Amino acid sequence: MHDIKRYLVPDSLDEAVRAAAEGDVTFLAGGTDLMPQTRTGARSFSSTLINLKQVPELRGVSRENGGIRLGALTTVTDVLNDVVLRKAAPVLSQAADHFASDQVRNSATIGGNICNASPAGDMIIPLLLLGAVVELASWNGEAVGTRTMPLEEFFTGPGKTQREPGEILTAIRFPVPGEGFTARFVKFGTRPALDISVVSVGIAGVKENGTLRRVRAAFGAVAPVPVRGRNTEAALEGKLLTSDTIRQASEATQEDISPISDVRASAWYRRELVRTLTTRILNDVSTS
Amino acid sequence: MTVIAKETLIGKRVPKLDAPPKVSGEARYLQDIELPGMLFGKILRTDRVHARILNIDVSAAKALPGVHAVITAADTPNVPLGIGRDNPPLKGDKVRCIRDEIAAVAAETEEIAEEALRLIKIEYEDLPAVFDPAESLKEGAPVIHDKHPDNIPFTFEYSHGDISEGEKESDVILEEKVKLHYVTHCCMGVSGIIANFDSEGNLVVYSQTQIPFMYKKDISPVIGVPPEKIHVIQPVIGGAFGSKLDIYPFEPICIFLARVSRRPVKMVFTREEELVASPTRQPVELTIRGGAKKDGTLTFREVHTVHDNGGYTSWGATTPFVIMQTVSSLYRVPHCLYKTTVVYTNNPYSGSFRGYGNLQATYAVETHMDKLAEALGIDPLEFRLRNAQEEGETTPQGMRFHTCGFRDCLTTAAEKSGFREKHPAYKSGQEGPVKRGVGIASLLHVGGGAKIYRTDGCGTMLKVDDFGKVTVMTGSTDIGQGSETVIAQFVAEELGLPIGSISVINNDSEITPWDVGVHASRTTFIAGKSAQLAARKARMKLLKVASEKFDLAPGQLDLRGGQVVRAEDGEALMDLGKLIRSLHFSTKNDIVMTSEYYEPPSMMQDKEFKGDVSATYAFGTQVVELEVDTETGVVRILRVTAAHDVGRVINQMGIEGQVEGGIVMGIGYATTENLVVENGKVMNPSFRDYKLITAPEVPEIDMTFIETMDKEGPAGAKGIGEAPAICISAAIANALYNATGVRFYELPLTPEKVLRRLREAGGNGA
Repeated sequence: MHDIKRYLVPDSLDEAVRAAAEGDVTFLAGGTDLMPQTRTGARSFSSTLINLKQVPELRGVSRENGGIRLGALTTVTDVLNDVVLRKAAPVLSQAADHFASDQVRNSATIGGNICNASPAGDMIIPLLLLGAVVELASWNGEAVGTRTMPLEEFFTGPGKTQREPGEILTAIRFPVPGEGFTARFVKFGTRPALDISVVSVGIAGVKENGTLRRVRAAFGAVAPVPVRGRNTEAALEGKLLTSDTIRQASEATQEDISPISDVRASAWYRRELVRTLTTRILNDVSTS
Repeated sequence: MTVIAKETLIGKRVPKLDAPPKVSGEARYLQDIELPGMLFGKILRTDRVHARILNIDVSAAKALPGVHAVITAADTPNVPLGIGRDNPPLKGDKVRCIRDEIAAVAAETEEIAEEALRLIKIEYEDLPAVFDPAESLKEGAPVIHDKHPDNIPFTFEYSHGDISEGEKESDVILEEKVKLHYVTHCCMGVSGIIANFDSEGNLVVYSQTQIPFMYKKDISPVIGVPPEKIHVIQPVIGGAFGSKLDIYPFEPICIFLARVSRRPVKMVFTREEELVASPTRQPVELTIRGGAKKDGTLTFREVHTVHDNGGYTSWGATTPFVIMQTVSSLYRVPHCLYKTTVVYTNNPYSGSFRGYGNLQATYAVETHMDKLAEALGIDPLEFRLRNAQEEGETTPQGMRFHTCGFRDCLTTAAEKSGFREKHPAYKSGQEGPVKRGVGIASLLHVGGGAKIYRTDGCGTMLKVDDFGKVTVMTGSTDIGQGSETVIAQFVAEELGLPIGSISVINNDSEITPWDVGVHASRTTFIAGKSAQLAARKARMKLLKVASEKFDLAPGQLDLRGGQVVRAEDGEALMDLGKLIRSLHFSTKNDIVMTSEYYEPPSMMQDKEFKGDVSATYAFGTQVVELEVDTETGVVRILRVTAAHDVGRVINQMGIEGQVEGGIVMGIGYATTENLVVENGKVMNPSFRDYKLITAPEVPEIDMTFIETMDKEGPAGAKGIGEAPAICISAAIANALYNATGVRFYELPLTPEKVLRRLREAGGNGA
């Protein structure tokens, strides 16, 4: 952590991506993951530290073309307090409400939570349920170039993403869910407050006449990356939410996940929890 | 005529005197102190668990600009520390556990010191290691210390009666084994020290110790400085809970650095260091076997424990002193056998921690009692009442219960919690995955000090100045428990002064008189009594002076509201300050200054561990009501109903804080806290993964204080510091059994462990 040679605070995206293009950079947003990780030696700073907090293009929550755009610097507290989001995507606000402590929420950004690519990242599961895409910007030699990619394809391993070294995650976008959309997110830690997920489970879909369609399931802290639950989705898609369907879907979760044992929980316990929590979520969805 | 009514502060809600400075930030902790020219010290700790040190190369570290001293074992006298005298501050020949100190640096900044540590190169030859005490006891196991080729530094054995007699009388005999884990103190203030030598070779240590006088004696041979040249100053201490009862290697190391660098040196742990390198609660494997007659009378109890001592010996090894008390004397046990084997391993080592073995002992004894009650078909409360100690008894171990509120504790906690109705109701089976349970457990702990040394005394000096302001100099340390306030209350009571007129000095060994130290829940009882008696002497002197002035017998006078008053009607006769000035400014030429050394009427135990070791004993009962989700293993504690025999409440607010804090600490021990040690390494050295319980998990706590008015204790008080943390884990386990029909033999009761055990037991887990 002594190796920071340059500290930059760009005040435009243009300036930020140009600086990033020079290579060997570490980005700082909320710092709630970066600082503990560099302190413990889990990662080290590159020679240039770029503080992104003054880049206006990365700020703000907006509605555009039937979708919602969250600037990467949107803090977890912003998500929690945003009236539009609370109405359009309550599952996201709910996840924000279970995110660390007030102090961390005030600083932690949604872009940072995604780029940190923790399998246990709390905001990621609800965003997967919402079908989010990420927006990335970089300097193409002449101008700012952008590309987008579905969030579920973004993660490649613990702490690893498709983001190229000079790229900046600028925003997250998702379509506003339509009529009948229902989504549930359960974060399970070993104590109610200030805990890192042992597992998290999210299930969403459009409920019509007791049937779930356009089902999305996603699981956190049970695989190298936050994962979509394709088998679980298949077990639910278009079926009446009977106790048999719920049982089959809960079993199907086991094919979707590949948990490890670590200091927080064993693989066995994570599997048990995903099965049980899925059953509980689906029971709740079927009766509400 | 001004009439002043008699008022008392005893039993009132008195805010802690140190609360305003702590809340406002005025309080100066060790971390806040900076001396001119001060350097920062850092320790290089090993990452091996058992290895021979072949070479230490400090040349690059020494050459780093800003580094003033780099030391290794070769540069110091390095006399071993601890009661086993087995822990050299710096390790020169081999390392025995993860926290071992190999070298240390003093530099101009913390960053330079850290950089210097990275430049030190060590060559090792790894040695076979052992982490399981059972393995360590086997023939051919790796030897941790050459002095103890069997890896056994200590054994303990206690007995009374004859176990075989007890077996014959038994209708039921049950045996179980419990395994208790590592937890650590998690003081808000991390460990630290500042050491400074003057040009005469006098040492000033800014220390967090809870034993300032023994500290001087104990550290003297280790650092080669005579005790009379050591001056201990204790800045405000950010919590101790027993962790500062021993001296740990960082302290002499920092002193060596100060000597070599000829500068003041400050050392403050990081939180990670605190979790890896400070003492833990003693992990214990405990086998308990005992029996009872059909009518519910206990017949015998036999307990064997294996203490994982880790690589070195600190106070954790001596927890059998306390464990055996609960085993032998919480209930009437006619025949008893207790044995402990303390075993070296390459794990971290354990120190003293609030309860001192009693959490472990009580978990075993009180879950075993529950099981026996079940086997006999007797209600667990009735079974306990049948065997509970009473006032006037002397236990076979020699403890004399002059007062004993145990039965009142049991019945009060049971009644206020609805235990009698809820226990059978929950037991009869419940629908749905979430089940409720209620569990009861009790405790016995020393309440009037513990005569571990030839004296268990505490000194006080007290002066009343010419404006009626009192300064109390006490040998006892306030580690956050509120002793300063309680001492001021006793003095205010004797001298009829408002508490604001009393100031307590308790942090400077050059000023304060001798005390054994803060341990064994002794401070209110012993330091409080010492202060009370010193104040009483001052009172007598003041009344005598006044009696000459007003031509009334001392007994006809009283001190109230800063005045000398006529006792019968409270008429104010003279301001206290004026009375004292009349002593100074007269031919009497006198001052009001008194001293007291209070020695409690207890005795040291004999070689068989028998004797009345404390001046009084504290009892308590806690009932836990909880909910357990049998599909996730999550335990939610809904309510704790506590009843404690505290002798007498001195500070209502302080004692409520002690009980709440103790219960919270006990719940952490029972449910979430776990220092995970794998192959000798601490796997979770951060608060992210070492889980203290947080505010939302704190249950509703209902407490009742049983006032037995101890005849020896000051104003009737008994000690309460440790008691509230002791029995809650057993109550939780018993409540879980009530809810699920499954017994739990290991802590902590994390959701995963609970679920795993529920699945293993399959509802058939007794």
